[in-house]
Amino acid sequence: MQSEPTTPPKPASTQSSFAPGHRADVPSLAGAGSGHATTSMQTAITVRGFSSWYGEFQALKGLDLDIPARHVTAFIGPSGCGKSTFLRWINRMNDTISSARAEGKLDLHGEDLLNRTLDVVDLRRRVGMVFQKPNPFPKSIYDNVAFGPRLHKTYSRAELDELVEQSLRQASIWNEVKDRLHASALSLSGGQQQRLCIARAIAVGPEVLLMDEPCSALDPKSTLAIEELIESLADRYTIVIVTHNMQQAARVSDQTAFFFEGRLIESGNTEMIFTKPRNKQTEDYVTGRFG
Amino acid sequence: MSVNLQSRVINLRRNLLALGALVEQRVSSVIEVIRDGDVELARQVRAGDAEIDQMQLELEAECMRLLALGSPVASDLRLILTAMRVSNELERIADMCKGISKRVIRMVESGSYRYPPALVQMAEAALSMLRDVLVAFSNEDIKLCLEVRRADTYVDNLNREVVAWTRAWIEQDVEKSGAAIELLAIGQRVERLADIVTAIAEDTVFLVEGRLVRHGAE
Repeated sequence: MQSEPTTPPKPASTQSSFAPGHRADVPSLAGAGSGHATTSMQTAITVRGFSSWYGEFQALKGLDLDIPARHVTAFIGPSGCGKSTFLRWINRMNDTISSARAEGKLDLHGEDLLNRTLDVVDLRRRVGMVFQKPNPFPKSIYDNVAFGPRLHKTYSRAELDELVEQSLRQASIWNEVKDRLHASALSLSGGQQQRLCIARAIAVGPEVLLMDEPCSALDPKSTLAIEELIESLADRYTIVIVTHNMQQAARVSDQTAFFFEGRLIESGNTEMIFTKPRNKQTEDYVTGRFG
Repeated sequence: MSVNLQSRVINLRRNLLALGALVEQRVSSVIEVIRDGDVELARQVRAGDAEIDQMQLELEAECMRLLALGSPVASDLRLILTAMRVSNELERIADMCKGISKRVIRMVESGSYRYPPALVQMAEAALSMLRDVLVAFSNEDIKLCLEVRRADTYVDNLNREVVAWTRAWIEQDVEKSGAAIELLAIGQRVERLADIVTAIAEDTVFLVEGRLVRHGAE
């Protein structure tokens, strides 16, 4: 059986108003806007004074942010602003870059993600990643989803079958592939491949899903399918999405963080960021006046 | 259709202020209509209403185009939403001017045109509020918006004087009841006009601060 996400239960809603399509316990326009993303939601990822470098180049400068559990947080900002770099620190993908280093606090449910003794294989099970371009393995649809669970645990055939089905159902692709589970994943369309990658990521029972421009290579219909999927997954997973599409950030996220030149300029409830941002740079960016 | 949102939003603001200036002119004319019982000017005010209706429709259509095609957010979105409301409110003020003119014509033609000084004071106060709110909109001046909102109480008080004066007129000369009812309707429209100006002031607060302050909210 698939293990349940280990994220603690979501607290009861304490806010009365919410943007249509967004979760009800997101602070409303009137209540949001502090430097930290949330006041009433449980925090999954805590970031304080976080900076990082590639060699001499400082890519991130003193970030302070709370990423709420089981909600969608969008990172926006012009290319090179550091949002993908930050995303890669959350599951320690920057470990593969020898010149990369970081300091400050970066915790997942209180666990220090910068701890050198941290088991990064286990971390990547807990923090899944979906990339810009769908990257299924050149294997069958079934084996793509079963790949991660097999690495972490021994399953009976029946358990694995159930886990694969559950993961594909959660990723809203089961009905499209249930009759060809052993066909090559590469035979799927781009949008289907991306949903398969999401199924693969959730098969190992992550707490967090990181998505780096997951729709930028997809057509509008596939984009809509992924956006609907993100909304349906947000009740179970903490989702962080990097996107250059402002409308997508507005549509899918509860919280938005705006990065510019390695700094976190403003973060808060998405409704506030897209209707009345507090910072002039945020205003100029979301309205397309720069970037 | 290509949408250069920034330049279109600038044009929208400009066109909205142009509509505001035209409506301000109408209110100014209506004060003369009331003060002098000027039937000719009243007819011009009535005839000019179509131009304002047309401008309002064009503004509303442009707002819809920008919403549909420009995906506005933040200050652009607030301006477009505000322009939709304010253009409609300005058009309603022009309708009030038209209605007042129609009633003045009827009263003058029936040979029973009388009014208390408070009616002209009321209309002048409403005009002053309208001028202020257009300045407040143009300069995004919240303080002035709040002053406009407070000034509405003065207009309400003057309307009570108009009602009391009209009641006394009816008691004095019951045969003039028809004209008195017209006068009450004029006073009511001037009072309503000031209410609409207050709504524009509240919309301007939304434009600047993103806060909804209608229905008595602070």
